[in-house]
Amino acid sequence: MYLFNSEVVSNQKLSQNIYRLRLKAAKDFCRAAAPGKFVMLGTVDGLLDPLLRRPFGICRWGSDWFEVVIKVVGKGSCQLSNLAKGVLVAVHGPLGNGYPNAELESEQKSLFLVAGGMGIASIASQLFFALDRKQSLVGTFLLYGAANISELILLDELTAASSSGLQIQTITDDGSSSRQGFVTQLLIHELQTRPQSRVFACGPEPMLKSVQKILQETGCDGYLSLENRMACGFGVCLGCVQTVLSETSETGMETAKVCTRGPVFPAQQVVF
Amino acid sequence: MVDLKVEIAPGVILKNPVLTASGTFGYGREYAPYFDIAKLGAIVTKGLSLQPKTGNPGVRITETACGMLNSIGLENIGVEKFLADELPILRKLDATVIVNIFGNNQSDYAALAAKLDGVTGIAALEINISCPNVKAGGIQFGTDPQAAAKLIAAVRKKTSLPLITKLSPNVSDIVAIAKAVEEAGSDSLSLINTLLGMAIDLDRKRPILGNVTGGLSGPAIKPVALRMVYQVAQAVSIPIIGIGGITSARDALEFLLAGASAIEIGTANFINPQTAIEIVEGIENYLKGQKCAKITDFIGKLEKV
Ligand SMILES: Cc1cc2nc3c(=O)[nH]c(=O)nc-3n(C[C@H](O)[C@H](O)[C@H](O)COP(=O)(O)OP(=O)(O)OC[C@H]3O[C@@H](n4cnc5c(N)ncnc54)[C@H](O)[C@@H]3O)c2cc1C
Ligand SMILES: Cc1cc2nc3c(=O)[nH]c(=O)nc-3n(C[C@H](O)[C@H](O)[C@H](O)COP(=O)(O)O)c2cc1C
Ligand code: FES
Repeated sequence: MYLFNSEVVSNQKLSQNIYRLRLKAAKDFCRAAAPGKFVMLGTVDGLLDPLLRRPFGICRWGSDWFEVVIKVVGKGSCQLSNLAKGVLVAVHGPLGNGYPNAELESEQKSLFLVAGGMGIASIASQLFFALDRKQSLVGTFLLYGAANISELILLDELTAASSSGLQIQTITDDGSSSRQGFVTQLLIHELQTRPQSRVFACGPEPMLKSVQKILQETGCDGYLSLENRMACGFGVCLGCVQTVLSETSETGMETAKVCTRGPVFPAQQVVF
Repeated sequence: MVDLKVEIAPGVILKNPVLTASGTFGYGREYAPYFDIAKLGAIVTKGLSLQPKTGNPGVRITETACGMLNSIGLENIGVEKFLADELPILRKLDATVIVNIFGNNQSDYAALAAKLDGVTGIAALEINISCPNVKAGGIQFGTDPQAAAKLIAAVRKKTSLPLITKLSPNVSDIVAIAKAVEEAGSDSLSLINTLLGMAIDLDRKRPILGNVTGGLSGPAIKPVALRMVYQVAQAVSIPIIGIGGITSARDALEFLLAGASAIEIGTANFINPQTAIEIVEGIENYLKGQKCAKITDFIGKLEKV
């Protein structure tokens, strides 16, 4: 992983409170990036306010840049979302394990990418990865839920890619898009006709819990990307730990650092 | 060249006064990708107990104004695993290692001290009698001078390793505790551990931390830490290691002026993993600028108002 100060290339407003920052990065950083990995971002002004850096998924990258998508929820995200072109940001990353290779096992038919709210940043990293490499997305479904239609982001770019074979379904809590409800309803429905599927999910904890249950019931293979609060992002504070099943521990459970062993875990391992 | 060597306990001479605080530096090797950890005065390990410990459930960290609260609850791999898996790596990395220990009761502390006695590659023990996050994490010893003295005397009997007692700021008279453990045979003192605090999520009407309360660290606590180091330095004759809110070489130098022979960096390690080594360089440059050839000529040289 790398530590550097990076220049903002562009800052684009995607919705009322969601922004996309493109940042410069060295080639080595870009080579180390992978879908599902994240960075810790902070300010370089030396004022230490906010104090800790904040974790954001690497959503897309090229040979000398990467992008993060930031929803404003507090001080840190607000500050980052306000940065103008040319300003410097402190970057630490790429961190975390990322998603396992999205290739399907021979018996598996479909790949479901399930995003809830800002979980789209992590989920979209897999789609952009495939699209930027002209890989086929036939058999891949994006199921994407958000609070309302204005928080459904990145759809233009992802829909434009539908020639790749990607199929997209959206749903909103308030029904302001075509369907009303939770994204997990879409998953239940789809898995009825495609029982042998692989599922990758990222979103709020209640959604991930529900995805885990659906996977258990359908016997599908899946991975969950967690977003526990982090202080360091590289395995030294023990602030981010998640209880997981363990074969070696006496109790059958152990704590795992989400920042280093995760953020992506096999769905059946996570103990919510 | 400035001579940065300091003596933090009788016979324990470090190449410079910059240490890393327990619980903020993992077991040390996690930082090896970022810089050569052998260049630090010493690294202090995460607090170790006799048995592994899983720590507290729920949200464990939250940022507050100029600081953070943590309620990790002393999660650690246990002393056996540390000796088998971690210490050999630290030795290979050539790091100077101080092992931080805690227990539920006096016999735990004594057993840990006995186990670590004579182990090659350990420069000193830091005895945590001050963790605010667990009921039995030493705090019952850290708030009462007599209990603290009794504990340190018991640990003293079990090991020939230099003992650094880590003090809690959550007391009404830290000087009394400092004097009591000096008397009981502590070779050195480190202070402060975190200040007990709390954060509330107004909209959900709930405490933010799973453990309700947690330990406050970071720049917010620096004035309290400086005051305590200053007061204790007036009252004891053993070396003091200053801890609390240090994020820059200037912060570190203030602690040295106040009477600390060395300092530990905590929360700042999370923000920038290279903070500690940058502070070593910063201290050297500052002293060069002051035409100070030996850091020991700078320590404790606070002038009157
Ligand atoms: C691995 C990882 C990847 C992430 N990727 C993205 C991303 O791509 N885009 C994005 O917008 N956000 C992402 N997040 C969440 C993001 O880190 C937090 O929203 C951010 O740290 C909040 O900082 P703040 O200072 O703005 O808010 P704070 O003032 O710290 O908190 C404001 C509110 O946000 C909540 N909050 C704080 N931290 C988190 C967290 N880690 N997860 C969920 N809620 C939190 C708090 O409960 C509080 O209610 C990710 C988190 C992790 C751990
Ligand atoms: C996440 C975290 C974990 C800590 N764990 C320990 C520990 O295991 N043992 C200990 O003696 N102190 C522990 N501390 C206290 C620090 O070593 C230090 O005393 C305190 O954080 C103040 O320094 P700072 O303001 O530079 O962080 C911990 C602090 C933090 C923030
Ligand atoms: S965020 Fe510090 S250990 Fe994971």
